[in-house]
Amino acid sequence: QQQPPPPQKALYLCSPFVEAALVKGNFKTIVMLPKYVDIMEWVAVNRFFDFYTNLNEFYGVLTEFCTQQNCPTMSAGATLNYTWINQDRKHVHLPAPTYIDYVMTWVQNMLDDDNVFPTKSGQDFPPSFPSTVKHIYRQLLRVFAHIYHAHYAQILHLRSEPHFNSPLRALPRLRQRV
Amino acid sequence: AGTSAKPSDYIYFDRSTDGFSEEILPRAKGAQMKLEHYYKVAVDAAIERNQRRVELERRLQGDHTISEERKQRQLQQLGKKESTFLRLRRTKLGLSDFRTVKVIGKGAFGEVRLVQKTDSGKVYAMKLLNKEAMLQKDQLAHVRAERDVLAESVSDWIVQLYYSFQDPIYLYLVMEFLPGGDLMTMLIKYDTFSEDVTRFYMAECVLAIEAVHQLGFIHRDIKPDNILIDKDGHVKLSDFGLSTGFHKQHDSNYYQRLLESANGQSTNGAQASRNSVMVNPINLTMTNEQIQTWKANRRKLAYSTVGTPDYIAPEIFQQKGYGKECDWWSLGAIAFECLVGYPPFCSESTHDTYQKIIQWQYHLAFPDDVHLSRQAEDLVRRLITSADRRLNVQEIKKHSFFYGVDWTTLRSIEAPFVPMLRSLTDTSYFPVNELEQVPEDAPAVAGDAAKDLAFLGYTFKRFSNILSCILE
Ligand SMILES: Nc1ncnc2c1ncn2[C@@H]1O[C@H](COP(=O)(O)OP(=O)(O)OP(=O)(O)O)[C@@H](O)[C@H]1O
Repeated sequence: QQQPPPPQKALYLCSPFVEAALVKGNFKTIVMLPKYVDIMEWVAVNRFFDFYTNLNEFYGVLTEFCTQQNCPTMSAGATLNYTWINQDRKHVHLPAPTYIDYVMTWVQNMLDDDNVFPTKSGQDFPPSFPSTVKHIYRQLLRVFAHIYHAHYAQILHLRSEPHFNSPLRALPRLRQRV
Repeated sequence: AGTSAKPSDYIYFDRSTDGFSEEILPRAKGAQMKLEHYYKVAVDAAIERNQRRVELERRLQGDHTISEERKQRQLQQLGKKESTFLRLRRTKLGLSDFRTVKVIGKGAFGEVRLVQKTDSGKVYAMKLLNKEAMLQKDQLAHVRAERDVLAESVSDWIVQLYYSFQDPIYLYLVMEFLPGGDLMTMLIKYDTFSEDVTRFYMAECVLAIEAVHQLGFIHRDIKPDNILIDKDGHVKLSDFGLSTGFHKQHDSNYYQRLLESANGQSTNGAQASRNSVMVNPINLTMTNEQIQTWKANRRKLAYSTVGTPDYIAPEIFQQKGYGKECDWWSLGAIAFECLVGYPPFCSESTHDTYQKIIQWQYHLAFPDDVHLSRQAEDLVRRLITSADRRLNVQEIKKHSFFYGVDWTTLRSIEAPFVPMLRSLTDTSYFPVNELEQVPEDAPAVAGDAAKDLAFLGYTFKRFSNILSCILE
């Protein structure tokens, strides 16, 4: 049985899929820090809470494909495999679903932790917030990267590429890093 | 179309879900809808936020009486409010944020409770709607669209919705608590009103219904149970859209089926063939006893999912389509009840009521033993009439029954009955004894995807409420 030659470019960078998104026009409307608004509050909701919720929603759909067998490593490219740092501070390779589960649980716990993401009125963000946020960000983008790399065809079959692209579109600068 | 040049990297991808599991399609669909909804809300919120800022900036710019420093402070303050609002989006409200004081009402899909928000101590009415029951009754079509409007509307005539959230079993609506009870309870207590009192309530209802129409909605379910009384004795409509308007079966097909099945039941073969036109005689006149029975059952009818059809316009359950005129019919039926003591087409059975409404020409009758002014009877007759002849809002306001009503100040005059309240959580205007105690909170069971989907976009917090909390 003959396999078609792999496309030059990754599917997710090809037309028309790369343009597909849910918001017509400028994503800036919804991602730019509104004037006078506290940047921490904005980042917490717009960049984390929503981003995580939307990603979680989508990953939930893909769990049937993202299995120990299909995705034995947390890959995001032919030679790119992310490692998890375990309790002993050692880098370990994990199957993608395990890795992603760790990430999502870890982020969820942070979001639920009032000391990290305060929800009570008058409570301030901790000084460590910016660095925590960077950390979380990196991990969430890895999840995205894996999905783009390993499951984009399935997303296309499910006609979900506009939905899947949108959260990243909302973050144009970071998109290039993936 | 399709001939425009495609980029060089254009890919034709053959989409197919062969070999995908059965669950994945609805799940993907669900995720898609949630995301679409998310972006729609995000864009709307951004636009609104922007408007609030631009408005304030413009106002401050034009104001030369306050210092630059104060202007800056005001702008910073707006930013603070917006920031607080953002924080509230991350705050999950749930049942545990409210303490139940008492069950104060019962609707078709669950009960209404008087609750207090634990952190602020503020009092609200919380309505529970059972998702499963609503699904079974096909009551979802209206949920989203109507919720959107309700969420944006602020009118003195419509019960304010503050929060809504859901768990796998219920939808929860947290609304403003109206301590005066409802018009149904009042009618049960007083039997009839004088023409002056009726004029007051009907005039207020006219303005309330007009407010609903101005929002682009048809209530379709105006009845004494949905006319609530605030702390000053003035009227507000509940059950509009979200709260209840949507859950009653107003789909013409539904009525059609109902009528057919009701006819079918009483039509046994032989009789049907012999007398194919009208096999089902209607009880033409109600005896006093029957009216008393009707009254005794009134509350039970209000609690049932079928609800009472007594106030529904005929065009709604004929296949004709309907417009906002149908709400004015309901007003006519309520006016009749206020003056006479029972609604015009009340019958021993729901089915008879339907039949009477469809043939209203033969069944609208004013009893001899009740004296009505010419104006009152005329108003009722011009509302309970075919849709094309029914008075519109302007004509109603000019009708002689309402002579002397000042439509612009109505809400600020003293109401005929002002509730006497001993506390913020006084429930003496509600039939609390009749309502059973609050049942144990059902344990949360995992909902299935389809069910949750139907209630998408339900979780809602009201900006103005948040603002008012912050401002206090
Ligand atoms: N905001 C409120 N404040 C005070 N009481 C309320 C409020 N909302 C509802 N109630 C009480 O609960 C009763 C039932 O509420 P409602 O009519 O909204 O329920 P429902 O489910 O729509 O049922 P139905 O359509 O049969 O009236 C009302 O008649 C009223 O007595």
